[in-house]
Amino acid sequence: MTTRDLVLAALFTAIIIVLGLIPPVTLGFIPVPITAQSMGVMLAGTIIGARRGALAYGLLVLLVAIGLPVLSGGRGGLGILMGPTAGYIAGWIIGAFVVGMIAERFVREGQSTVRQMAGFFIASVIGGIVVVYAIGMPVVSLIAGTPFSKVIMGSLAFLPGDLLKAAIATLAARAVMVGYPLLPQKA
Amino acid sequence: MLNSLHVEGRTWLHRLPAAPKLFLLAAVSLVLFFVQSPVVLALVLLLAGGVYTSLGLPAREALKRIRPVLITILLFALINLVLVSPQEALTTTLRLLSVLLLAASVTATTTIAAFMDVLAKLFLPLERLGLLKAADISLAVGLVLRFVPEIAARYEGLKEAHRARGLPLRIHRVLGPLIISTLKDADTIAEAIDARGIRGQ
Repeated sequence: MTTRDLVLAALFTAIIIVLGLIPPVTLGFIPVPITAQSMGVMLAGTIIGARRGALAYGLLVLLVAIGLPVLSGGRGGLGILMGPTAGYIAGWIIGAFVVGMIAERFVREGQSTVRQMAGFFIASVIGGIVVVYAIGMPVVSLIAGTPFSKVIMGSLAFLPGDLLKAAIATLAARAVMVGYPLLPQKA
Repeated sequence: MLNSLHVEGRTWLHRLPAAPKLFLLAAVSLVLFFVQSPVVLALVLLLAGGVYTSLGLPAREALKRIRPVLITILLFALINLVLVSPQEALTTTLRLLSVLLLAASVTATTTIAAFMDVLAKLFLPLERLGLLKAADISLAVGLVLRFVPEIAARYEGLKEAHRARGLPLRIHRVLGPLIISTLKDADTIAEAIDARGIRGQ
């Protein structure tokens, strides 16, 4: 891990924190406000790649653990890491890694816009939604005692919003790929 | 901008060193997971409540700190009431509330520096294996805290620029410029760190 990789990961952690500080925004075409921070996993993986992205999220979780209110809505502290939603937080780290892994494999410079965007979108959906939920949902069931099948049912309500976040992350990842590509020189 | 959730104080929990405090929290949470008796769990909750109130936080502040997780727990309590037996719903809720209050107490009485010392010790075995350097972790944490206000200011600047051009602020328009302008600094910062030999290579 070079100093530059370390700095890129730390800067990305700081970006994720700032995305949590800004009030939830509406997108214009849908009425429900969304927090920009919840796109962080997809953004980290698609923009700085697997290892640096996972490191950025590892740092974020560490900051939560040491008692800084770095999550959206000023949440932080050990209570968050020991509550029913703890699995999702652990899932972010692995999710960011998987997003990055898929993006690194399928997206290259010089590909057509459509191919790049398709790669970013698939990476965001698999790593940022499938992986995060696959780790988060069993932990909810385990800690809160809610039957697993019901947790799955309840989580489906978040799917449309998550797909929209994947689309926004795809646009942002493509913009960075054009303006300042970091993904190709992976850590 | 980012105020630590630690509060100054002189209670017994403040005086207890961070490492045993964290170990105790982990151990108690683990044991509680296997306790099924609602009576025992209610007593533990009473005790945990006693610990949290003994910190002397003003009522509003005390509630504000635990509110996000409290809402999640109560939400699951309601759902469980419908889905599983009332006794099961009661035991999980009592257990989760106890863990929340104890965790919030540890967070409120432990400084960032004390946490970082414990982390450095925890990472020591990994450092011996050559997987990471504990000093890198504190360097990275320092970098994050240093750049959050700067990136927030950058976001404000982008917001102003949108307003000046009469464009409504949309998150998908801001993300690209915000991320590019921030990450472009990485090279300069990395050079500055290496030039000063901070990572000692």
